[in-house]
Amino acid sequence: MEIRIENLTKAYGDFKAIDNMNLTIADGDLVGLLGPSGCGKSTTLFMLAGLNKPTAGRIFFGEHEVTDIAPEDRGIGLVFQNYALYPHMTVEDNIMFPLINRKVPKNEARDRAYEMAKMVQLEGLMKRKPKALSGGQQQRVAIARALVKKPEVLLLDEPLSNLDAKLRVETREEIRRIQQEVKITTIFVTHDQEEAMSISDKIAVMEKGVLQQYEVPQKMYLNPGNLFVATFLGTPQINVFDAEVHDGKIYCAGNMLRSGCMVPDGSYKGGIRPESFNVTLLPSAPDAIRAEASHVRMTGRELQIRFNLGANEFRLLVHSDMQIGVGTPFYLTTREKQILLFGQDGKTVGKF
Amino acid sequence: MEKKSMKGYLYLAPALIIILIFTIYPLIRAFMLSFMEDYNLVNGSYKGINLENYIDIFQDRHFIKALTNTGIYVVFVVPCSIALSLIIAVLLNSHIRFQGVFQTIFFLPYVTSTIAIGIVWGWIFNSDYGLLNQLLSWFGIKSIPWLTSKQYALPSLIIFSIWKSMAFDILIFLAGLQTISEDLYNAARVDSTPRWRVFWRITVPGIGPMISYAFVMGMINAFKVYNEVYALFRGKNGPAGSANTVVFYIYDKFYNQSKYGEASAAAVILFLIVLGLTIIQRTLTGKKE
Repeated sequence: MEIRIENLTKAYGDFKAIDNMNLTIADGDLVGLLGPSGCGKSTTLFMLAGLNKPTAGRIFFGEHEVTDIAPEDRGIGLVFQNYALYPHMTVEDNIMFPLINRKVPKNEARDRAYEMAKMVQLEGLMKRKPKALSGGQQQRVAIARALVKKPEVLLLDEPLSNLDAKLRVETREEIRRIQQEVKITTIFVTHDQEEAMSISDKIAVMEKGVLQQYEVPQKMYLNPGNLFVATFLGTPQINVFDAEVHDGKIYCAGNMLRSGCMVPDGSYKGGIRPESFNVTLLPSAPDAIRAEASHVRMTGRELQIRFNLGANEFRLLVHSDMQIGVGTPFYLTTREKQILLFGQDGKTVGKF
Repeated sequence: MEKKSMKGYLYLAPALIIILIFTIYPLIRAFMLSFMEDYNLVNGSYKGINLENYIDIFQDRHFIKALTNTGIYVVFVVPCSIALSLIIAVLLNSHIRFQGVFQTIFFLPYVTSTIAIGIVWGWIFNSDYGLLNQLLSWFGIKSIPWLTSKQYALPSLIIFSIWKSMAFDILIFLAGLQTISEDLYNAARVDSTPRWRVFWRITVPGIGPMISYAFVMGMINAFKVYNEVYALFRGKNGPAGSANTVVFYIYDKFYNQSKYGEASAAAVILFLIVLGLTIIQRTLTGKKE
């Protein structure tokens, strides 16, 4: 089911939790609503669910406008952050509950519940109470309960935030698998950019109630629409520096990083990802910049090196076999098309 | 270690001493008294150690009447109070306007003296110009002699007590309701759960421990009913003893008739009933968990 959000606004008094949001989600996509806490992503999700009423704007599921339709009539499955399993019912009763409410005969309801349980691999736990399940299992019960009524849209609020690190990676793959199997349009809320990038078909990044960008993960990572998106995606964070452009050349604290750029002269914010440097111990090119490591951190796969250009601090990542210690001088160039320039308003000017 | 535990007992001592003197000792003493035939409080003499007191009270129709009255009282007051309180608590919890005002109103009976409430209800029940009869007259019901007839004394007491004990029940139910996650109700909404099923499958189980607690406490308190009788019937036990209760009987035997043994025997019987019901209740709710 295609989901279309038109000029959606949610205001609490003077505060706009969601400001004029427009978004179209294609049928069958898995979409991550990503942003820092308080950015309005959960509010958006609950408006899609119908539990929150928008102040203005419209929501369409397919051809039908659902803005004023009650949650139970929207054909949605909703998974809460804390799962909201009914604590006094068994797993079986929890999964059957939405069907019983829709007056599905008990036998059929039970069959469908077991079918669902099989898909989320819960067989054998059906007679347990939620309390006797691990976090990951509870999560799967919640998903089964949301899917058992065959909704057209699946909404998940921070589905992984209550799980430990290892389980989180497993569960997100699990969510992806289930979503692919059911082929249901799915929207999940998260504040974890890695989580969003790894399983989403598309990511919607939000900040302060405003949709910043809606894009395929790889494209968004490589071509962020603005400085916020650039800094929000990726760990370690993208390096942001004061950039000057003269005659098509990008400088940082007097060091020329790139020439031949078609940008008007002036001051910009520059951005370059830690993995986008070429580092050598001897000068590899005439315009290689000399720098000294101020901190070196070994993370196993790679070395994380900090250095300064003028007042700008940078982090870069190199393969861990590189022999660089604190104070070691090295030479660096930047990979093609990896320097981002942002205007004073934060909007992306270009990639060089 | 030794020294440390000594210090601990020292801290406990003041409370322990008071409990020993005013609770444990009287308990044992009453138990002993109940077996002493014709005990004399002045010189401590008694005829013998036997079951005479128990035989006497069970042959006393006033005791049987008090016991039945108390039984009827408990059977009506506890479940009615819990049911009504549950409904009111759920309504109060549903984000209505002036929620705080209503909460205060419903909690007032709990902090007000029973005697004061008794006086007010005395007026409500008044057969000539009472509010209740006024209200009933609108429905064409003739004026009822609530407090002055043998027939209506116990029902009046029960109505009064239900109203009074609701305050406490509402309070703990409200506290319980607030522990039920809002998400559960939202989940139920998305699952298109009918209201009555939300109530029975989410709300009631959610405050199950509170209901069970209210039940035990309500039952124990109801078996001990005395103040309410005293307040409503101005120190009497209703017209011709028609609203007599076990504790009222014990009090009367002890202070007015100076039959210490019989009073103690009645107290022991009451204790055993409450103990028995509490054990039954605990095993029943204990099994569920």
